[in-house]
Amino acid sequence: MARAKAEQQQPASGTTLIVMVGLAIAFLLFMAFLNVVKSGNLLNESNLLFAALIFYSGAGALYLGFGVTGTESYIKSASIATWAGLAANTAAVAHRWYEAGHPPFASVYEMLLSFVWTLAVLTLIAEKKYHVKVIGTVTMPVAIVGVVLMQLLRTDVHPLVPALQSTWLHVHVTLAMLAYAACALSFALATMFLIQDNMKTETFLTVTSASTLAIYASVVLTRFEKWGGLSLVAWNPENKAEVFISKGVRLFVTIPDLGWIMVLALLVVAAPLVFCGIAKWKKNDSFLVLANRAVFLSILIQVMALVMFLMRARDGRYPSLDADGLFPTSLAASPFILSALVGGIFISLLYLLLLWRRKDLEALLPSAVELDRITYKTICLAFPLLTLMIAAGAYWANQTWGSYWSWDPKETWAAITWLVYAGYLHMRITRGWRGRRAAYFAILGFVVVMFTFFGVTYLLPGLHAYA
Amino acid sequence: MLAFEHYEQGEDMAVESLGIARKTWQTIASIKTGVVLLILVVILAAAGTIVLQRPVTEPDEMQAAYSPHVLRILDAVGLTDVFHSWWFLGLLLLVSACIIAASVERFPNSWRYFSRPYKYPDESFRRASHPQKSLPITDEESGLVAAQRALHAMGFKPERIVRADHFGIFAERHRISELAVYIVHASLLLIFFGTIVDGFWGWRGTLNLNEGQTSNLIELRDGSTRKLPFAIRCDSAGQDNYKDGTPKKWWSELAVVADGRDVKNKEIVVNDPLLYNGVRFYQSSYGPNGKVDKLSLVAVPSNGSGAKEEIGLAVNDTVALDSDTTVRFAEFIPDYAVRDGQVYRKSNELENPAAHLVVTSKSAGKDKDYDVWLPAIDGVADNSKAPYMLQATDLKMGHFTGLQVSHEPGQWGVWGGVVLMGVGLAFVFYVIHMRFWIVPVCDPKTGKSSLWIGGSANRNRDAFEQCFNELVTTAEVELKNISKTSPNERVASVAEQRTGSLEAF
Repeated sequence: MARAKAEQQQPASGTTLIVMVGLAIAFLLFMAFLNVVKSGNLLNESNLLFAALIFYSGAGALYLGFGVTGTESYIKSASIATWAGLAANTAAVAHRWYEAGHPPFASVYEMLLSFVWTLAVLTLIAEKKYHVKVIGTVTMPVAIVGVVLMQLLRTDVHPLVPALQSTWLHVHVTLAMLAYAACALSFALATMFLIQDNMKTETFLTVTSASTLAIYASVVLTRFEKWGGLSLVAWNPENKAEVFISKGVRLFVTIPDLGWIMVLALLVVAAPLVFCGIAKWKKNDSFLVLANRAVFLSILIQVMALVMFLMRARDGRYPSLDADGLFPTSLAASPFILSALVGGIFISLLYLLLLWRRKDLEALLPSAVELDRITYKTICLAFPLLTLMIAAGAYWANQTWGSYWSWDPKETWAAITWLVYAGYLHMRITRGWRGRRAAYFAILGFVVVMFTFFGVTYLLPGLHAYA
Repeated sequence: MLAFEHYEQGEDMAVESLGIARKTWQTIASIKTGVVLLILVVILAAAGTIVLQRPVTEPDEMQAAYSPHVLRILDAVGLTDVFHSWWFLGLLLLVSACIIAASVERFPNSWRYFSRPYKYPDESFRRASHPQKSLPITDEESGLVAAQRALHAMGFKPERIVRADHFGIFAERHRISELAVYIVHASLLLIFFGTIVDGFWGWRGTLNLNEGQTSNLIELRDGSTRKLPFAIRCDSAGQDNYKDGTPKKWWSELAVVADGRDVKNKEIVVNDPLLYNGVRFYQSSYGPNGKVDKLSLVAVPSNGSGAKEEIGLAVNDTVALDSDTTVRFAEFIPDYAVRDGQVYRKSNELENPAAHLVVTSKSAGKDKDYDVWLPAIDGVADNSKAPYMLQATDLKMGHFTGLQVSHEPGQWGVWGGVVLMGVGLAFVFYVIHMRFWIVPVCDPKTGKSSLWIGGSANRNRDAFEQCFNELVTTAEVELKNISKTSPNERVASVAEQRTGSLEAF
């Protein structure tokens, strides 16, 4: 029903959105300029990042407008905004590099800086070279979240600890960034392939709902405290660092009642999945309509949860279960919960985009065969990069720790990633796997990459304590 | 087709007669086995990153993390040390066997393909070939010349195939690409070989040296010691800090001593080890060793007469204060506590240091000792009775440098394998084996001639199809050019073409 209604809507007139976004950008730049005049410091990193954020947001709005309405003229303006954002981002990277005296790879903040930059470059390449125009709809919101996270994580230039003072660090990390970016691209292409391959919209509903469910389940399972509190890491605003009770043990504060909101969000997010299950079980499609409505509702509740989280966790002092007294916390202390919440909303929005605009998307994207081929090509690029990344890491480890392979969790998971992609290549080349099966494999590969990148750092102990 | 079926039947019979050995071999060589083994490796390796591992984690941490019952099960299964367990090693060996078997099984075919290229397509091949194209021609020779020119223009070196009953043109590029996958497999085996060599003949240990100390005894991981045929001396070691106090650099000046003389000197830092005779020494830690390097004192005679003296002492040093009096640095306690009139060493941390000095003075031909403690410990120290008042002005602590020592004779296999793999992968992914066949065909019904162009590539079909289309269009243009010129000129142009191709060589 929702779909039918959306199809009746006339596409918004092309110029309105461009003018609105342009005005918004101009207004924000003007406000920022006033601020700069007041502080008298024009070209510092934070201003550059702010400019990048403004431009990326503009580009994101236009790409989304393009994704929703299919108005071609948005793309041109969106590209210009992306170029402007990239210019500011490049300047920020250069500034950081100059200030620190080493390429920006040494902390989570610096990695994000480089990551967002790579993402913007890839978006422009995909758009100009491969004509995958809709890609900005996905990458720009990710870039925006990245820049926002950076604002929170912003740290002073830290000198490099002795183990990181090696050229191999730069080689290793650059290769890792490129390899992971290629993996991310192959994931996006494989998903687009599934769209073009007429995979049922319900399947996407199941997967997106399951992902958001996983997000809230992990938040609730790890952070829910007695009597509805949500525990977050305490933050020391003076040192701009997390508070530790003893070595490796963080101090957690409990924000009252926030836990209940997360539980509520968990229940609402689970609803589409439940309706989907009922629809399949009873073979009754009217439950699917309910499921789609539940996605709507879940977005509202998710936005509410995010807003509550932002309001309560931004700053303020809260009690702790481990120590007496009140302790401050900050959004900077929980960047991963924040990005998980934003990510959940983003995933649900992407589903709605698919639900409403599937026909337009299908017309915009290259053919399924073409997408299958590009996915394979991207993995052909990613695999050698992964190999070189692991080799450079091993060589560096041999220089620093005296052993080229020590089965540290990050190393092991990098090897697992490599094996998964090796499996993909073997199945494709010797067994002729094409289409769906290959696409699933590519998606699996990226899931493993994400675990290697984030999961290992934050869940498993190991030598890779730097990033 | 019939012949092929017959061949397969023959093979089936051979399988039966060779029995189990052959079957085992085929099982090992099959890609299914390989995939199953790899999935097993992935699952076990993942388990090894989730369950805490023994050599890295301290025993008490393990006990804190798991209940005794669970820990006993984990230990019994070997999940607490996955990467050094016999079954994980066995699994990796099986994977190697699988790679070898699969490569051996498939190599002869690839080699035949490589060494005896298929240069003339027969009719059934031509029918099944994709992509293919037929261009109308007036006579066979001009068609072939046009095709030859087109191939030359694209950088190929066409070859005329002339047999008793047929002729055509064959051109190819990067035939080596067919064998690239074996390069990758070989490189993987080379890496495995290197790690296995290291597993059996390599060792790792630590060596802690105080400044000035020489040693050749390495403490290995399992607690035993290993004696090196040469010794290492640490001349000095230190830590440089950034302005904000975080460490910037740890360094040690090391010397290799063999047969009583220095054979090598090097300052090592964290990313720059010392290598001697295949043994590497890495900077791993640095810190105070709880021993005094130098204690600076000011000594003033207790009776007030005479000048004050400044002296520096290491432990067990004795210095004369005047002709009758000496002072000896008897003992240094980095962290002291007093109980029942006795001074104890509480720990080796530099928390609460005390220095024990013995002042000896000759009076009436007899030596008398005074125990001076800094600080003056009540009930133990005779500070006030001693002929000199001693005051500490500076305490310089000695430092040790912690070195990781490793001997990895197999690492050259690993690096060789890595380089080989890079080369192999470059060939596998970016070098395409392209083949083109051009055959003049005469339709027996109409009597018209046409030029059949076919081609194939082992990967990247769309790039190849572009190439194929380019060949077809260039050949068409060349055909037109040739048909414009007269037959005589045509012969001349063929001759020119031949010399041209010679010049190209």
